[in-house]
Amino acid sequence: MESRPLVVVGAGVSGSAAATEAAKAGVHVTLIDENPVPAAIAGLNVPQFFGQRFSGDLRDRALMLERVAAASEAVTEAKAAGVDVQLGTCVWGAFRNSDSSRMLDGPQLGLANDERSWMIKYDRLILATGARDLGIAFSGWNLAGAVGANGAFCLMNRYEASASRRMVVMGAGNLGLSTARMALDRGIEVAAIVDVSNSVRGDVALRTALQREGVKLYMSHTVREAVGRFGDIESVVLVEIDNNSEPVAGTEKVIAADTVCLAIGLVPNVELLSLLGCDLRFESGLGGYVPDRDDWMRTSVETVFVAGDVAGFHEGMVLDSEIARNQGRLAGLAAAESLGAIGKDEALARRADLQAEAVDSASNEVNSNWASWLQSLVTAGGPDIFVCPCEEVTCAELNDLHPPRRLKWKAERQSRRNLRTLAKDSPADSDQVKRLTRVGMGYCQGRLCREQVSMMLAAETGRDVADVPIMSYRPPVRPLPLKVLWPREEAEQVRRDWPKWFSPPRQVLG
Amino acid sequence: MSVVSADVVIIGAGVSGLTAAYFLARAGRDVVVVDKGIVGGEASGRNGGMISERTDEPAMIPMAVEAIKLWATLDEELGYPTEFTQQGRLQVAVTEKDMDDLFSERDAALRHGLRADMVDPSQIRDMIPGITDRILGGLFFANGGHANSQLTVQAFAWAFQDLGGRLFQNTVVTGIQVDGSRVTSVETSAGAIAADMVVGAAGPQTALMTQLVGVHVPVAPARVEILATAPVPPLFDIALVGNGLYGRQAASGNLLFGGGTHEWADVHLATDPDKPNTPLIRNIARRLAELLPCQADTPVIRSWAGVVEQVPDMMPIIDILECPSNYVVVTASAHGFGIAPATGKAVSDLVLYGETNIDIGAFGLHRFSDIGPDWRAELGWNPIPPRF
Ligand SMILES: Cc1cc2nc3c(=O)[nH]c(=O)nc-3n(C[C@H](O)[C@H](O)[C@H](O)COP(=O)(O)OP(=O)(O)OC[C@H]3O[C@@H](n4cnc5c(N)ncnc54)[C@H](O)[C@@H]3O)c2cc1C
Ligand SMILES: Cc1cc2nc3c(=O)[nH]c(=O)nc-3n(C[C@H](O)[C@H](O)[C@H](O)COP(=O)(O)OP(=O)(O)OC[C@H]3O[C@@H](n4cnc5c(N)ncnc54)[C@H](O)[C@@H]3O)c2cc1C
Repeated sequence: MESRPLVVVGAGVSGSAAATEAAKAGVHVTLIDENPVPAAIAGLNVPQFFGQRFSGDLRDRALMLERVAAASEAVTEAKAAGVDVQLGTCVWGAFRNSDSSRMLDGPQLGLANDERSWMIKYDRLILATGARDLGIAFSGWNLAGAVGANGAFCLMNRYEASASRRMVVMGAGNLGLSTARMALDRGIEVAAIVDVSNSVRGDVALRTALQREGVKLYMSHTVREAVGRFGDIESVVLVEIDNNSEPVAGTEKVIAADTVCLAIGLVPNVELLSLLGCDLRFESGLGGYVPDRDDWMRTSVETVFVAGDVAGFHEGMVLDSEIARNQGRLAGLAAAESLGAIGKDEALARRADLQAEAVDSASNEVNSNWASWLQSLVTAGGPDIFVCPCEEVTCAELNDLHPPRRLKWKAERQSRRNLRTLAKDSPADSDQVKRLTRVGMGYCQGRLCREQVSMMLAAETGRDVADVPIMSYRPPVRPLPLKVLWPREEAEQVRRDWPKWFSPPRQVLG
Repeated sequence: MSVVSADVVIIGAGVSGLTAAYFLARAGRDVVVVDKGIVGGEASGRNGGMISERTDEPAMIPMAVEAIKLWATLDEELGYPTEFTQQGRLQVAVTEKDMDDLFSERDAALRHGLRADMVDPSQIRDMIPGITDRILGGLFFANGGHANSQLTVQAFAWAFQDLGGRLFQNTVVTGIQVDGSRVTSVETSAGAIAADMVVGAAGPQTALMTQLVGVHVPVAPARVEILATAPVPPLFDIALVGNGLYGRQAASGNLLFGGGTHEWADVHLATDPDKPNTPLIRNIARRLAELLPCQADTPVIRSWAGVVEQVPDMMPIIDILECPSNYVVVTASAHGFGIAPATGKAVSDLVLYGETNIDIGAFGLHRFSDIGPDWRAELGWNPIPPRF
C-alpha cells in the first residue's frame, strides 16, 4: 500500500494554504479534494445541498476537472510549490487502530474517484474538509431548486454549472448576503433575502450595495412554502412573523423564483474527525460539533491536524478568508515540524507573520437564530413538512416517534409514545430516534437533517441542544457504489480465509 | 433514583435482557432493567436481524423453533412493530464446497424434523431476482425469516414498560453485593437496587459481570462488521446467505449484509466498547456485488460494527449460578437475536419456576467445568496485542 508523509484533505482556502506551507518547508504533500463530484452523487445532495440546480455540464467530467482546477488560485499556488494535487478524489473513510481494532499496520485513508477505491497510509493528516450546508425543513424543500449556500457557491464558482435564474435567499447574515452578491455577479436575479430576525445581521456595506441594486430584504419574515407543479420550484410564499415566530395571517407574499437558497448556517464537516476518534465538543458559535485543537491546530489525536471551516465556522469567516488561510498555514507548519522537516524555532519564526487575531476570532452563538428559523418554518409550513427528505419523515412523525410509514403501523400503545415520553426514560439521543423513525438514514447520510433533529429533540424535551449527543458518523462518509467501494485487487488469501459466521466450533475447540 | 428494590433486577437492555424482562413483567413480577447505554445500543441493535432454525448447532434447534413460533405473533402481542417477516431463509452455493455443505446441512435439518428443500438455480433466480449466474444450488428453509433489530428491542422495552416495568438507561452497573450465598443488591451509577433475583444479560460483559460475584464464565467478546446500501426497489423478502455473507433487504429497501473476519476484543465493565469499522467493508461490498451483480451500481451509505459475545462451543449459556444462587446468567453466543424470544421465555421460566419448558439442558455452565482461566489463549481467542 502506498504511504504518504503528509495528506491534506480539502483543497479550499485552508487546505491549499496548509499544503503550500508544508511543501515550502520541504515536506512531500498530497492534497486531496472530492471536487468535482460525480453528477450522480451531486444529485443525492452530497457533499453539499445542490438541490438539482445544476446544468448538464456536471456530467462532463473532464470539463469539470478543468474548471475546478482553474477556479482556485490557492490550488494553483500549491501545485507550484510542488504539492501533489488529486482532484475528483474523495476520502470516504479514515481507519486507525483502537482498543477493539488492532489489525492495521498503521493509520489508513480510504480514497475513491468515480471509478474505483483504494487505501493509502500517511504519517500526518491535515483535515481541511470545510463545512456543509445547514438543512432546515420548509414546505417544498424537497422540490428541485431548494439549495444551500455552499452548494450554490460550489455550482456558481467552482463548477460554473449553476442552473438557477431567480433566487430567494434565506438568511440575512454574511452567508446570505454573500450568496446574494455572488448570484448577482453571476447574472442570477435575487428576488428576495428573507430573515426571521428583525434586523439584518450581516455586513452593512454589503447589504447597502445589494439594496442599491434593487434586492429586497424581508426582515421578520419566514418561508411558508416553495411551490411548483412539476417537481421544480416556481414560486415562494413568504409570510411575516410576530415576536413568537408565529406567522401573521394575511401578510403572505408570493414571489416568482426557481431557487430557494438556505443560507442560514454552515456546519463543520467533522465526519472524518469522528471516525478517527478525535475529541469533539459542541460550540454553538462555531456551527456545532468542532474538534478540540490547540493553537497549532493539533487535534487530540497526535497525527491529525485541522484547519479552516472544519475547525469551526462563523459568519465572519465568509468575508475574511484570511482566517481559514492562516489556520491552514499554521496546520501546515505544525505538521512539517512534527515530521521533523523544520525545527521548533523555525516553525515559531514562520508563524510570526500570521496575525494572532485572525486565528482566534470571537463569535456569537447561532442556535437561537437557527431555532427561530426552525420554529417559524414548522409553524408556517405545518407539521407535515419533511424533516428528513430522503426517508420522507415529517416533523409530526419525528415528534410522535412514528414507525416508518410503509409499515402502516397503527396501535393505540404506539400513539402514546413520542419524543417527550422517550426523554422521560433517558436523555434524548439522536441515534435512538434515528433507529426508530429512520430520520437521517437516507441517501444524503443525514447531512440535511442532523442539526434539525438535535434541535427538535432539544426543543421537545426542554434541553440545551449542546447536550444532545452527536448523531454517529460511519464509513463510507460519501455514498459509494458497490463496484467503486470494492477492492479490485483482493489477495487470494482473503478469499481463502474468509470465514462463515465465526468458524465452526469443531474447529475452534480443536 | 427513587427505586430501592425490585423482585428481579436485569443487567443489560439488550435483546436477551429485554425479552426476559417482558415475560417476567407479564407474569406479574416487579422488574428493573439497567443498561449503561440506550436500549439495544450494543449488538442487539446492530445485528443482521436474521432468524433461523439454527441447524449449525443441533442442540439449539428446539429453542430456535420455539423462538420462531413466538416471533409470529410478537407485533400483535407487544403493540409495537418488529418488522418480522417469514418468507424463508435461503442459503446459496457458489462453489462445489458450498454445495457439499448444503447437502450435509439439509441432511442434518431433516434428521431433526425440519423443513429444508434443495432448490436449483432457476428456482433461486425466481426467489432472488438478479442473483449471480454463478449460483450452483441452494437450500431453502421455509420457516426462516428476519426482523428489524432496532425496532424489536424498542418494542420489547416499551411493552415491558407498559406492563409496569422500570427501565434505567445510561445507568452503569458497577458492583454486586453478595451476602452469604445470595445477591442482595446491584450497585449502579445511580445508586443501589435491592434484588431478590438478578439476571446478568450483559452480552460481551457477561464474564466481567460474573467476576463481580467470583464466578468464572467463558465468554469472549469479538467485533464484527456489516454494511447497508441505499434503498432499492423490493427485490426479495427472504433471509439470504451465500458468497460468505448473510443479509436481507429491509422493509425500507436497503440491503443489509455482513460477514467476514471477526476480531477478538476486550471490553470493560463500565464503558461502551469502541466499534470502528475497518477496510473489511470493501471486501464485504465486493462479495455483495458478486452475489447480486445487478446491484453493483447501488451505493453503500453506511456500515457499522458490533461486539458480540462468543462462547467456546458457540451455544448460549442460560443457567442459575450455584453461588450466589439467585443470579441467572444468560448470554447468546453471537446469534442471540433470532432466538431472543425463546431465550427470554426460558430465563423468565427459570426465574419463576426454577425450570423451563424449553429444553436448555445443553446451555448449562456445567459443560465448562474443565475450562481453565487461560481458555481464550488456548483457543486463540485473545485479541492481538495493541500496535499503534
Ligand atoms: C456564500 C459563499 C461565498 C464564498 N466565497 C468564497 C470566495 O470568494 N473565495 C473562497 O475561496 N471561498 C469562498 N467561499 C468558501 C468559504 O468561504 C469557505 O468556507 C472558506 O473559504 C473556508 O475554506 P475551507 O478551506 O475551510 O473550506 P472549503 O473551502 O469548504 O474546502 C473544503 C474542501 O474539502 C472538500 N472535502 C470535504 N470533505 C472531503 C472528503 N471527505 N474528501 C475529499 N474532499 C473533501 C470539500 O468538498 C471542499 O472542497 C464562499 C462560501 C460561501 C458559502
Ligand atoms: C453485526 C452483527 C450481526 C449479527 N447478526 C445476527 C443475526 O443476523 N442473527 C442473530 O440471531 N444474531 C446476530 N448477531 C448477534 C446478536 O446481535 C447478539 O447475539 C445479541 O444481540 C446478544 O444480545 P444480548 O442482549 O445478550 O447482548 P447485548 O446486545 O450485547 O446487550 C448487553 C447489554 O448489557 C449492557 N451492559 C454491559 N455491561 C453493563 C454494565 N456494567 N452496566 C449496565 N449495562 C451493561 C450493554 O450496554 C448492552 O446493552 C449479530 C451481531 C452483530 C454485532
